[in-house]
Amino acid sequence: MKQEISALMDGEMFEDQAEAFLDKLKRHPETRQDWENYHLIGDVLRQPDHVCKSFGESFHERLQAEPTVIAPYKRTSQRVRNFALSAVASVMALALVAWLSLQVGSEPAPRVAEANLQQDNAIRPASAQANDYLMAHQEFSPSAEVHVSAPYIHAVAGR
Amino acid sequence: MMLQLGVATAFADPLLDKEADWLKTMSFAAHQINYCGVFVYQSGGNVEVSRVTHVVDKDGEHERLEGLVGVKRELIRDNDQVWLYSEGHKVRIEKRQVKKAFPALLPEQISTLKDNYAVMKAEDDEIAGYHAHSVVFLPRDNLRYARKMWADSDSGLLLKAVVMDDHGFLIEQYVFMQLSIGDNIDRKWIVPESTSATAVAQEGNPLPLPQVELLDGPSGWQVDALPPGFRKILEMRRPFRGNKEPVIHMVFSDGLAGISVFIEKAESTTYIHSGLSGQGAAHVYNRIVDDTLVTVVGEVPPLTVIQVGDSVRYAGK
Repeated sequence: MKQEISALMDGEMFEDQAEAFLDKLKRHPETRQDWENYHLIGDVLRQPDHVCKSFGESFHERLQAEPTVIAPYKRTSQRVRNFALSAVASVMALALVAWLSLQVGSEPAPRVAEANLQQDNAIRPASAQANDYLMAHQEFSPSAEVHVSAPYIHAVAGR
Repeated sequence: MMLQLGVATAFADPLLDKEADWLKTMSFAAHQINYCGVFVYQSGGNVEVSRVTHVVDKDGEHERLEGLVGVKRELIRDNDQVWLYSEGHKVRIEKRQVKKAFPALLPEQISTLKDNYAVMKAEDDEIAGYHAHSVVFLPRDNLRYARKMWADSDSGLLLKAVVMDDHGFLIEQYVFMQLSIGDNIDRKWIVPESTSATAVAQEGNPLPLPQVELLDGPSGWQVDALPPGFRKILEMRRPFRGNKEPVIHMVFSDGLAGISVFIEKAESTTYIHSGLSGQGAAHVYNRIVDDTLVTVVGEVPPLTVIQVGDSVRYAGK
């Protein structure tokens, strides 16, 4: 489904294919969210006002030089059914990482990837048990004062 | 210090006090303003996209947070009450516990802020269509992270936040991609989508939650090697997970970052010695002291949670 969304958005579908697919989209409302997310991210990526001026030129280079994209999908999909979804999610994540690294602006963005790879090797991601402590802590942390949803970002992350 | 944050140093000194006051404004905005938007959180290769809706009315604060990538999860918050749903099923309910007891938490913390960070105004920017002022907090040692925050110049709402280590490596960031601020937020967003979720939400407070007991006197546990500038802001005995006995929870703050120390009996069922782990800027470190499990959590570098954790000891009452 995600690959079809992607193909349709990129104009890589024949007309009859596209019609059949749009029909399918109507019949499965749950796919609408994917459709909307995909568009939202696409919109953001195309917003000239908020995206670095040299976005177009450097996009490809940056993707090439962006090793962090390896990291998010180290975890293996539990079900085969999820595979396609993960694949498209990873495309979205990859585009976002590229976009975000540009958002940092004058800060030394290219070093982000290197640093995080080092960090990934050194520090394990928090377990479910550690997450309980994280949430209990964040309830009182000063950073949650200015950022009310901070304690819950990870709780709603669909993992 | 190798950080190059694009700081407008010419503006640094005269605005110091004002920039520190910024946190108060941002904190006020975070709780008092109506807004709805989509934000991205990134930490290393981990990217999360969420939609947040925040509405304030005569009954207080209402918030809805939805994860937009992967399994559908959402969270509804009504003041202190929090419901978490996964694909329409309630998976967890909790209550923010003693927040109300500490309404003056923040001003007290801000007074210590400038001892620990150089606070500087940075260049203005535009984020999600809003004009943003930005402020940089540079730590005076490498035991804490540097931060840069962007806030809407009208409302003070936090639009973007970046956390960096002492080499200028990005640890995590949070940024709105799309945002509406104002009173015209559609209230339908704060009602759970699925009917099952609505039904659960209407049950009201389903479980009388155990009480948190704030400690007046010391618990007897002591932390010897806190980084300079961290002060204890509270100490409590709180129910935690399925523990039979309440857990001692101490919270320390340097005005910007928090460190929590949890102390509990290391029961065989709860005993998981995991050492160091992390999530974005937050790190978790635990160790066993005799029959006690000590867990340290904070938005500080890994070495700081280790240093703090290794210095926790029972000093006696």
